[in-house]
Amino acid sequence: MSAPIPPQARSKQLRACLLCSIVQHPMDFRREGCPNCEEIMQMKGTPDRIAVCTTTYFDGIIAVIDPENSWVARWQRTSKYVRGMYAVRVKGRIPEDVEAELENRGIKYRPRDQTDQD
Amino acid sequence: MSDFDDHQTYPADGSDPIADDQDNDAAHDDDEGQGSSARRKTYGGGEEDDEEQDDEEEEDDEEEDDEDDSGPKRKRAKHRHKRAANPFLDIEAEVTDEEEDEEEDEEEGPDAFIAPTHEGDEEDMMHRSRNALLDRQRDQEFDEANLEKIAQDFSKRYRGRAAVRYTGDMNDIPQRLLMPSVHDASLWQIRVKPGKERDIVFSLMRKAIDVEYSARPLEIMSAFERDSLPGMIYVEARSAQQVNRACQGLVGVYPSRGIHLVPIEEMASLLQIKKQDLTVTPGTWVRIKRGKYQGDLAQVMDITENGEDVGLKFIPRIDLNPRDDMSVDGKKRKKSGVIAGTNMRPPQRFFNFEEVVKVYGRKYVSKRNQVFVFQNETYKDGFIEKDFKLSALQLENVNPTLDEITRFTRGQDGTEHESNVDLSIIAEASRKAAIAVLQPGDHVEVFEGEQAGVHGVVEEINLDVVTITAVGVDMDGQRIDLPARSVRKRFKPGDHVKVMTGQNADETGLVVAVADNVVTFLSDMSMQEVSVFSKDLREAAEVGSGTNIVGNYELHDLVQLDQQTVGVIFKTERDSFRVLDQNGQVRLVQPHQISMRRDSARAFATDSQGHELRVNDNVKEVDGESRKGRVLHIHQSFFAFLHNREISENGGIFVTRCRSLASLAPKGNLIKPGQDLSKMNPALAAPAGGMVGSGNMGRGPRDRSIGLPVVVVKGPHKGYAGTIKDTNGNLARVELHTGNKMISIDKEKLYRRTPDGQIVPLNAPMNASEGGGGGGGGSHGRFGGMGPPQSANRTPNPYGNGGKTPSWGASGRTPNPYAEGGKTPAWNASARTPNPYTDGGKTPAWNAASRTPNPYATDGGRTPAWNAGSRTPNPYNSGAAGASSWGGATPKAGGSTGWGEESGGWGGRTPGRPATSEWSSGDAWGAPTPAAAPTPGFLLSAPTPAAAPTPGFTPAGVYHAPTDAPYAPTPGGAFGNYTHDDEDAHYEPRETWVADDVSTEFCDRVFVFIRGTKRDQFFEGKLENLEGRIRGVITTQAGDLTQVANVFFTPGQDGAPESALVPIKYLLPLAPKGANDLVTALDGKLKGKLMRTREVPDGPTTVVMELGATHFVDARTETLVLLAPE
Repeated sequence: MSAPIPPQARSKQLRACLLCSIVQHPMDFRREGCPNCEEIMQMKGTPDRIAVCTTTYFDGIIAVIDPENSWVARWQRTSKYVRGMYAVRVKGRIPEDVEAELENRGIKYRPRDQTDQD
Repeated sequence: MSDFDDHQTYPADGSDPIADDQDNDAAHDDDEGQGSSARRKTYGGGEEDDEEQDDEEEEDDEEEDDEDDSGPKRKRAKHRHKRAANPFLDIEAEVTDEEEDEEEDEEEGPDAFIAPTHEGDEEDMMHRSRNALLDRQRDQEFDEANLEKIAQDFSKRYRGRAAVRYTGDMNDIPQRLLMPSVHDASLWQIRVKPGKERDIVFSLMRKAIDVEYSARPLEIMSAFERDSLPGMIYVEARSAQQVNRACQGLVGVYPSRGIHLVPIEEMASLLQIKKQDLTVTPGTWVRIKRGKYQGDLAQVMDITENGEDVGLKFIPRIDLNPRDDMSVDGKKRKKSGVIAGTNMRPPQRFFNFEEVVKVYGRKYVSKRNQVFVFQNETYKDGFIEKDFKLSALQLENVNPTLDEITRFTRGQDGTEHESNVDLSIIAEASRKAAIAVLQPGDHVEVFEGEQAGVHGVVEEINLDVVTITAVGVDMDGQRIDLPARSVRKRFKPGDHVKVMTGQNADETGLVVAVADNVVTFLSDMSMQEVSVFSKDLREAAEVGSGTNIVGNYELHDLVQLDQQTVGVIFKTERDSFRVLDQNGQVRLVQPHQISMRRDSARAFATDSQGHELRVNDNVKEVDGESRKGRVLHIHQSFFAFLHNREISENGGIFVTRCRSLASLAPKGNLIKPGQDLSKMNPALAAPAGGMVGSGNMGRGPRDRSIGLPVVVVKGPHKGYAGTIKDTNGNLARVELHTGNKMISIDKEKLYRRTPDGQIVPLNAPMNASEGGGGGGGGSHGRFGGMGPPQSANRTPNPYGNGGKTPSWGASGRTPNPYAEGGKTPAWNASARTPNPYTDGGKTPAWNAASRTPNPYATDGGRTPAWNAGSRTPNPYNSGAAGASSWGGATPKAGGSTGWGEESGGWGGRTPGRPATSEWSSGDAWGAPTPAAAPTPGFLLSAPTPAAAPTPGFTPAGVYHAPTDAPYAPTPGGAFGNYTHDDEDAHYEPRETWVADDVSTEFCDRVFVFIRGTKRDQFFEGKLENLEGRIRGVITTQAGDLTQVANVFFTPGQDGAPESALVPIKYLLPLAPKGANDLVTALDGKLKGKLMRTREVPDGPTTVVMELGATHFVDARTETLVLLAPE
């Protein structure tokens, strides 16, 4: 299973999910939501939600072709996610409600802006 | 059937329903994704099954579509419905192939057997029964199953289909445990086209998906790029081979430049590269990167939540002088705004409602609350408030200057708005910087903390701690450690300081006021007060700015500002000039606004008394203010720019009319000793001189280097050859021979190329060409212009030089032929004389000439034949012409020695003949070095009385040149045989040139044309003028005339046979015609070399390039012969 690959690599519109760092065209986010974390982000069909859960401010693009076996994907913690384009670094944090939900579930939130490395 | 399957399969995986369910879901997904041929096979027995399945799937799709419309109940039911079918699908799919085959066999057997008879009934039956079963099952489930189960089912179902529950299962692993190990695939670095990194990563992804199910899927696991690593991408794969294969066919990837393995310890850091995050907070100072406000300081007011847009406040630039013609029509006004934006941006100015309304009209400005809206921008308190993208802002190195900050603080009405701006930010920034600029020995004061007020001298600096020796009443001499941030440099009024950094760098001045960390000083240069931060200052004793030179221009240069205006720089500022133009107006110009520097060093004008006025004359005004001054520049012989130190205005420069000036020192029309008389002669005046009122003044090349052939010896154009077309200061515009390109280049990088291919510095004395030119000119003056002098300009002629020697003088009037001949090689071409060699032999003149040298000296000069020159069949003339082409350029001692020998035996002349071989060897050919050494040698070698009639030599020399030794002794006969027709001859090769001058390697490649056959009726003259290529030369008898060449005629000529054997005496070398012809030279230094022409050979010299060589050489066109390609 793979995420839709944005048709234009240089598009300024491309957005990266703040939680899983997948890079998609905003249209795809609207149509399909985030292929990895839609369950918690609930972006599908709601542009407002997309605006807060994704950002255009990211740096570096990874084409994850074989997530299971890729070290890059593992390092990026995306090896359980779908194939697709991921950002190396995403600036910003997920909305507070999502962060609270993660906390409820006992999941550690790791921002994708490389601020906490351990 | 579904029922059956259900029952059959459930027990198999009933043990772990959840896991199983997940598996099922996954498998189901797979099935849907791939289309299941296996499934079809499995149900080969009953086609309805497939149909029904399809139906179900359709339903499913529908359900998905109306998801929002349908109630939850319906949804659930549908899911359940689907659920009923699904396990069956999935489980079937899980059955191994063997089982499938078995089943197939089992099922096909009865089918094939039964179908023909009971098909209809059976199917109907099965259909109905199955429907009933399904219905029942559904009802049953719906009724019986507890809600919990349904919910569970649903959640499983839903999760599998729409979104996996986010578990963040990898988030608990510390990053360090994710470090790459040796078992992981490696990262490979590949060079790509810069700017294409991201596209290539995307291409790789698409390619991977495309070929996923092909025979050769990509074996790479990932690929990525980093914005901070331009020109490369990284690919994760097991081997470079795999990377290479993945990159095949992608445009912009350069695997040929190496696929480099990234060391394992560097892999993680590639993904950890972090751009320095620049946080923007309200109040931050930023600069605008682009547009009308480029470089302007702005203050952040607010930031959107995602940090992409920033609301800024800054000083607007409103065009308050829109073009007049556009003031009425609103549409046009809009346009004017655009134009103004592109041409010159209006100055920063606070928004003033009244002003704008006055210019644009009331209806263009509207007011809402405290905010004005004008041209779709909002203005508040005089500032413009506008949203910018973060990417359009410069966040680093903003360095707001004090000026800018104070402008911000003051606001539109000039009063302080303390609330407006937070100075602490800039203060903080400047303080940080201040630490860096402290040096031991600096005088500092403490401005905060316990020791505030103490001042002293910095002793040492250790990171942030500064040790100072306090100066003052009670703590004098104590050493105190202080944090660096709480001290600042201390200046007091009266100090002489220099600005180290910033806009005012290099200004010096006297401190007049100190307020906190702002020091105001009176600039030595501008005599204006300048305020700077104390951190930017240093005490200095020096005065003035370091230099008067900005760009290529310096103080007191005469510069062209536009077509009509010139001016003199009277003040240089940091990056601009103050220029006084010819109309007396002062302008502030940037270096780029100056089109060129003008040279008026040789300009002159007439003053009020009609005397010559030149640059550097000391003059005074005869009218007006009677100012005195030194002439700096003269423009168009009308304006004079004068300089007088005692005048403070405009740096002592003023402009006046030449006619109102009088020389301070009386200047007569005395001719100074040594003055060049030729300057008095208008006709002889060099173009550079420029006469008063002459129309073409200033037209001539001002710079002697204009027109010179040069080569570039440094820089990116090194090795290129070209011609200087224009010069400006130390820059030269060079037209390159190649690529039809003009470049501007520093003159220092140019070397002049002499005609013999040597290169000498541009400013080296140009005695060769200049002297030659002069000599040439002189001879033309005297002899009435015998021919185009251009080649004379290039080739200094030993004869010419010889003409100046005393011994020449002694030879009476006879130098003429030499001078003529020597200096006008081109004269040959214009010589329409019947061949002197053929006819000349019979004329008494010729005989006289050849046998008795004296007549040359005495009679020769007087005979009309001499003077008539070119038009007469005069052997001397033609001889001289020969000399020009053959001997003219032979400065070689060898040549002159040969002459010497000859001269010794002049009377008989015969013994001298063999010496001509030296001539024919032609080593000296085309070596017109300025040394012109031969002349002295020539003279020395002529000490005999016989040599006294020196002129005799030349014809003799000439005479040798074209003839071959055997014929020489009897000129008459020899010339009779000489078949060259002078008509159209560009070159005077001997008739045996084919054998003598063409090196053997080219003798079967030379192109020739045929001449002289008509006279001898060779082939009845049919071959005359035909062109062809020599295939070989047959020498029947050495030195005999029967040397014949096998000529293959160029096809397409009238009456040309394919080939013919032609005596070589009828052959003349065919000159190259094109710019890329293969040629060789028949004489000179280039003789025997395989070359290509690099320009169309139409001048006396042609630029050629030896094959395999890298530099151009000038070859004499007449020596070139076209070669066939090998």
